[in-house]
Amino acid sequence: MINRILDNLEEWLIATFMGLATLVIFFAVVHRYSSGIPWVWQYTRNISTSWTQELCIYLFIWMAKFGAAYGVRTGIHVGVDVLVRSLAPAKQKFFVVLSLGSGAFFTATIALLGAKFVHFIYVTGQISPDLEMPMWIIYLAIPLGSSLMCYRFLQVMWHYLKSGELPVHTYGGDIEVVA
Amino acid sequence: MNSLIIFALLIVLLLTGMPISIALGMSVLAFLYAFSTIPVEIISQRLFTGLDQFAIMAIPFFILAGAFLTTGGVATRIVKFATTLVGAMHGGLAVSAVLSCAFFAALSGSSPATVVAIGSIMIPAMVKQGYPKAFGVGVIATSGGLGILIPPSIVMIIYAVSTNTSVGQLFIAGIVPGVLMAAVLMLVTWLVAKKNNYPTLPQASLREIWQAFRDSIWGLLIVVIVIGGIYGGIFTPTEAAAVSAVYAFVVAVFIYGDLKLREVPRVLRESANMSAMLLYIITNAILFSFLLTSENIPQQIAQWIVDQGLTPWMFLLFVNVLLFFAGDFMEPSSIILILAPIFLPVAIKLGIDPIHLGIIMVINMELGMITPPVGLNLYVASGLARMGLTEVTLAAAPWILVVTAVLLLVTYVPQIALWLPHLMYGIP
Repeated sequence: MINRILDNLEEWLIATFMGLATLVIFFAVVHRYSSGIPWVWQYTRNISTSWTQELCIYLFIWMAKFGAAYGVRTGIHVGVDVLVRSLAPAKQKFFVVLSLGSGAFFTATIALLGAKFVHFIYVTGQISPDLEMPMWIIYLAIPLGSSLMCYRFLQVMWHYLKSGELPVHTYGGDIEVVA
Repeated sequence: MNSLIIFALLIVLLLTGMPISIALGMSVLAFLYAFSTIPVEIISQRLFTGLDQFAIMAIPFFILAGAFLTTGGVATRIVKFATTLVGAMHGGLAVSAVLSCAFFAALSGSSPATVVAIGSIMIPAMVKQGYPKAFGVGVIATSGGLGILIPPSIVMIIYAVSTNTSVGQLFIAGIVPGVLMAAVLMLVTWLVAKKNNYPTLPQASLREIWQAFRDSIWGLLIVVIVIGGIYGGIFTPTEAAAVSAVYAFVVAVFIYGDLKLREVPRVLRESANMSAMLLYIITNAILFSFLLTSENIPQQIAQWIVDQGLTPWMFLLFVNVLLFFAGDFMEPSSIILILAPIFLPVAIKLGIDPIHLGIIMVINMELGMITPPVGLNLYVASGLARMGLTEVTLAAAPWILVVTAVLLLVTYVPQIALWLPHLMYGIP
């Protein structure tokens, strides 16, 4: 149940950030060139668009952190598995668990470091240059995204230990599960 | 000494099969804990500030644009146009497939996407017309590589970001080598088809060509937006990417109507998935190269190579050989992110233009995508053709020679890559 909500939230969040960032930059470009059309410009000249680049970057950073977690679930993070594939199944299993475990360990470490960093920024009270948003909210992407990613690694590992299946990403979109 | 430890660590971690991004991050963590005086806290800041560059954001936009183009009926119309142009030649359908890949490459920045878009139409069509399946698959897997050589190109953006070169100049520099590669691939396809007497298509009338051109013009206009927009100073590359994403959406949903509005969230989600994966590798690779730089390693390696008395042509040969092997095991973005910052200082010391080095690396990546065991295009093509990976690999093998020939030409005749950007940007 909680997993379902988390899955939906994750998918919905990254798709929205992607679409929103595109529209923001498109809007900024259209706005800049509306200056060439006098009757439009008289309405648009007072809109400031200096914040658009910053917003786009922040949206994409959030998308990247949560999308990376989604990516673990869809098996899109590939590695150099040539050597491991040639091993006997038992050894192969060891390396798969090792690599998923390392993923969980690394993301957990980053989540921890990120949380410490967010606290540090919170104390300094920094705000972003253009949007004037508190920076700690923006940096929150690191501990939140990384924790979620850690959870996904553990989830995939649990599923693998139970069923021996790993998510495999295929080009063209569909997620199919192969042994 | 330190450099040896860092690289040994990275290679060992990579060989365990863990995701490349995690291997990069883990080697940084381990090295920091064990050997370095840089505070570990810097990592969390770097994880954020590493991505804090507007130029990088062109990558998700181009991926999104590519996704709309692949699903939105643009590919079908481009294929039709290409077929009316060159279909009457020997092996007309195969030559058209190469040309379609070249056209699609000019709209999309990714090779696997090009293979999917064109291959899903052309492989079945060629098989139906009686071509040997292996031939068709080899042609598609190889010419799909044009996706990253003909601008726009995601791999070039990654090179630009990791070496601080201009995305615009790299894009322009890719045009002549890209057209050359397409021409050579078409020529070889035609020669093979002539020798084996593969079928031809009836000659299209001028009227049909015009009709097919008018049908595909909405998709092809993206070339104007990207290249014209960047070169004409109308947009930055990132803005051009965002505009082409919106434009591709409008074409796919409203003009051609091949994509339903309710499918758009799925396209957004898939593009976000792909982008996030690349951005995650980029973040960790930036972390890794930050570590290298703070330990002064690229400079040390550069000095060492220069001290060996390597001449530019020997260095470039070394680069090509190393990249060929690296390309066999890793996908393009990771290789560029790890190796470009190391090659660049050497290249500069030897007087090699960074833009030229970039194009050489990109063509090498094309080669890597059709060589086993890790050839992304081979995987995609084998999925499309429902052929085993070994068969597809064998089918693509002769093409490795063709691409290598073009690679050597571009490597040792720098003007092929540099003439156009120098002309357009007024560099003497």
